[in-house]
Amino acid sequence: MDTLQHIINGFAVCLQPVNLMYTFIGVFLGTIVGVLPGIGPSASIALLIPITYGMDPTSALIMLAGIYYGAKYGGSTTAILINTPGESASVMTAIDGYQMARKGRAGAALAISAVGSFIAGTLGVIGLTLFAVPLTSMALKFGPAEYFALMLFAITAVSSLAGKSPAKAAISTILGLMIATIGIDLQSGQPRYTAGVPELQDGVGFVIAVVGLFALAEVFSSMEEMIKGIRPEMIKLRGKLWFTREEWNRSVMPIMRGGVIGFVIGVLPGAGGTIASIMTYVWEKRLSRHPEQFGQGAIEGVAGPEAANNSDTAGALVPLLTLGIPGGGATAVMLGAFIMYGIQPGPLLFQNRPDLVWGLVDSMYIGNIMLLILNLPLIGLFVRLLYIPGGILMPFILAISTIGIYAINGNPVELYMLLFFGITGYVFRKVDIPVAPLVLALVLGDMMEQSFRQAMTISGGNPGILIGSTICVVLVALSVISALLPFLLPKLKAWREGAEADAA
Amino acid sequence: MADRIIIACCVMLAVAYFYGTSQIPSLEIGDPLGPKAFPILLGIALLLATGLLFVEHLKDIKSADPQLQKPARPDRRHLPVLGVVVVWMAFYFSLFETLGYVVATTVFLLPLMAWFNRGKWLANTLSASLFSVGSYVMFAWLDVTLPQGVLPF
Repeated sequence: MDTLQHIINGFAVCLQPVNLMYTFIGVFLGTIVGVLPGIGPSASIALLIPITYGMDPTSALIMLAGIYYGAKYGGSTTAILINTPGESASVMTAIDGYQMARKGRAGAALAISAVGSFIAGTLGVIGLTLFAVPLTSMALKFGPAEYFALMLFAITAVSSLAGKSPAKAAISTILGLMIATIGIDLQSGQPRYTAGVPELQDGVGFVIAVVGLFALAEVFSSMEEMIKGIRPEMIKLRGKLWFTREEWNRSVMPIMRGGVIGFVIGVLPGAGGTIASIMTYVWEKRLSRHPEQFGQGAIEGVAGPEAANNSDTAGALVPLLTLGIPGGGATAVMLGAFIMYGIQPGPLLFQNRPDLVWGLVDSMYIGNIMLLILNLPLIGLFVRLLYIPGGILMPFILAISTIGIYAINGNPVELYMLLFFGITGYVFRKVDIPVAPLVLALVLGDMMEQSFRQAMTISGGNPGILIGSTICVVLVALSVISALLPFLLPKLKAWREGAEADAA
Repeated sequence: MADRIIIACCVMLAVAYFYGTSQIPSLEIGDPLGPKAFPILLGIALLLATGLLFVEHLKDIKSADPQLQKPARPDRRHLPVLGVVVVWMAFYFSLFETLGYVVATTVFLLPLMAWFNRGKWLANTLSASLFSVGSYVMFAWLDVTLPQGVLPF
């Protein structure tokens, strides 16, 4: 009953004019960064953190979350019109969306992704509302050992699902943890790996790393494409921005299924929106009576994945809010924002600051309605952003990144660190090392080490404590399974195919 | 090829990291594990992951089709330009506080736009200067102080 009261009070918080305004700014910026290739939600959230210092944390978080889920709406537009995902989770939308656009059905594709995103996004927030409280009561039983095991699971899951090479993903994760150890050790007060540089005493700011690895690296890659003369062909948006009744009937079930898959995948650490949309696409193709139409402009191939990558955002907020553990890159940046405002998300937050938690969750219902309006009647305005020449846009992103980093401490040394991370991110991309595991590990690194050492202090140095409770055993087992997953899956597949061949 | 460079870099990094770990002074205060234990585990983990990459690399070589080797010379036209962009950014950062945000940013943006958005002088000049002034005003309004530099306001 208490919870219901809190949920209703949350609406009182998020309906305050100032918070409505920040919701709007958030989803508006989110749509923009989603439409523009080059700057994604992680980097944009990171860039806005310094600006939001003076703000009320509730309003600030409402805005940052708006960017996160708003970007998913915008990402589909770019995918459909220029066959480039504006946001990584829109990869699958590009396949059939672009084919639809070539056949003159761009309006229908955009409309179905906006409506599908709205339905699934709202489904996701309902899921978040329902599942948050039961999880927090479980999380209250967590001690340092359990938290360590949980974080271990989060980072192994992310690294096992990122990229093609498990070794490279593991290297990325470990580098992130190593960077996190730079700076003064909180328990002993000893400086570590600072090499006498005073700027390193407080550690490497994750905002710098995120903006460098995501925004700068993306700018460098786009510049490379411009130099090589690779230019995607843009399809003009013509005709009515709506779908036919027949198209709607074909899309309803994919939207519902995608919404559910997206939410579930979102809650689990590691997978995230991209995997949710790929799974939905594959599933819809298998269920379809006309699988041959997939890839040729099947509306189900737009509606399902687009729904999945939107409900995924709400799902991803479940572990972040209830356990305080992010399951991917963008939520890791959100956790960084919480910490910078001095707020520790987790079960206690639900007890101590229900206004903040539920104000944030409830604002997502409103934000999704705003996004539906922004992305249907007003989508034409956002499409114009795609006409900005890359030669102007990319230098702008460099300057914006500079402002964002300078705004943190007003220290030019951090700008060179930004450049370092930008080059690193670009090189990683060239050699296929995924950066998301690095970012997650960087944000979690400190907490992981602290809980590891606390657990060891409790047990008097006996590592047995890490498998000392049922929760720990389950989490450690899950970590081991997810670490082995990349090696087991191909074997399993080969074995199954062998069995099928034998049967035939 | 790239894999071999990664492996070499990781081994060097691990060595440097172990050296850095050995430089952390140990005191008899704080928790029993101290500030070195976790880093040592990380260093070992990096070596293990690098070993794994080496195994992956060997497998790739084995399964690679000798017929399909070396698709001509890779296109590296972009590298000198990107190098100049990086140096230009470092130069921008070094003048960021002395020249001030508005001047430094305009000076930074113009050549980049002139190169990547060739021939559109008017559009480039307008967007570079409007962006610098506009963002300065906007961030001032947001209470973010950017260096004022040579300008009187």
